[in-house]
Amino acid sequence: MAVRALTRGFRYSRAATVASPCGGHHYVTAPSVKPPQPQADDVTEKILNQPLEKPDFFRVAELFSLKDLFDARVHLGHKKGCRHRLMEPYLYGCRLDHDIIDLDQTMEHLQLALNFTAHIAYRGGIILFVSRRRQFGHLVETTAKDCGEYAHTRYWQGGLLTNANIQYGPGVRLPDLIIFLSTLNNVFQQHVGIRDAAKMNIPTVGVVDSNCNPSLVTYPVPGNDDTPAAVELYCRLFKMTINRAKDRRKQMELLHGLSAPTSQTSRYALK
Amino acid sequence: MAGLCRVVSGLQYRVRLSSRFLRSSFSSDSGPAEGPVSGFAAAFDQQEVLRRETQSSAAGPKASSSGPELSFAALLRRSPLIQMGPAKDAVVVGRVFRVVRDDLYIDFGGKFHCVCQRPAGADGLQPGSRVRLRLQDMELTARFLGASTDTTLLEAQAVLLGPKEAGSGGEHHQND
Repeated sequence: MAVRALTRGFRYSRAATVASPCGGHHYVTAPSVKPPQPQADDVTEKILNQPLEKPDFFRVAELFSLKDLFDARVHLGHKKGCRHRLMEPYLYGCRLDHDIIDLDQTMEHLQLALNFTAHIAYRGGIILFVSRRRQFGHLVETTAKDCGEYAHTRYWQGGLLTNANIQYGPGVRLPDLIIFLSTLNNVFQQHVGIRDAAKMNIPTVGVVDSNCNPSLVTYPVPGNDDTPAAVELYCRLFKMTINRAKDRRKQMELLHGLSAPTSQTSRYALK
Repeated sequence: MAGLCRVVSGLQYRVRLSSRFLRSSFSSDSGPAEGPVSGFAAAFDQQEVLRRETQSSAAGPKASSSGPELSFAALLRRSPLIQMGPAKDAVVVGRVFRVVRDDLYIDFGGKFHCVCQRPAGADGLQPGSRVRLRLQDMELTARFLGASTDTTLLEAQAVLLGPKEAGSGGEHHQND
């Protein structure tokens, strides 16, 4: 951002320092910290606002179909005795004591979740994949690496999010989105990260099975989280969405004639 | 009657013209707001529908039956898992995906896999080989004293019957 300021906004910053004392309102903005660059700001604002005009700007609904979800066994839930009371609206029914998750609802929720993920990735947000299932730990980590984001599949320390400034140093940047591939930890309690993310105002996307509590998850996706086929499908979908959103951002920047992406602007600070 | 014959015979000659006409009509108006079509237009529409139907049925009956028209309810009702019925003593075909010394981890298309001991003489069971199983339970759960929900083992239970012979079909084959 500093690089852009020097190249484009230098002449405008001079004008601002002259104008501010003369005006009736004194805005206490130090020009050296945030020099006004009307030209670059307009373009960036347009880039940031354009995806908000359409409901499915990144066309995430094309990435999956009902048949894909069905073949990946996303509709299979646990037994009736394991059911969480709050998951009952998402269930299609119970067949011979096995819960069946309603895939029509799952389609809608998954589309919302993927759309939200795409918008976060488009705006350069940090995404954290969390799963405490040891069976899928490696898969989740490779997924995160492939889309250039982060994963946490090990023991969750108590103050990871809530005590981050003390544990990791002041001014640490927390994730902007946390994606839970499984919302339970190994003793079938809810993962601490869900409660902590809600405390820190971090939106969450979570795959909730029929024995999970969907209340604190911002974008719950009712679905199977135990079968490898289903988890591979989710990982693939999230990876494709994030890559698609990031490619779209690069495309938009090139289209609107901003500077070619250098190594410094790899993580845009603008939100 | 004579008009109909003329339309049917002239269809081949006028296909090019009428397709161009159709395309322009779709682009010009947003929806069919003309009212009841009659005469050549009605007959042409009917012939188009018939031709499309014959083409799609010739392409492949499988593609149309498993196409986007099937709802979740229909997919579920026709799935092997539901058609199988109760899991107790159902014979299914599974696939070994992991071998840990004497334990075979077998996936048969349900939510969970099952773990079976390798029988004495069967050393040919490697990851990827197909086996026959008799299912006992799709998910091992039990409610213990003092608990509000069942405790689940995240596993199914099945008895290994033996390797699947390559020629014997006609058994339950779960989607894999």
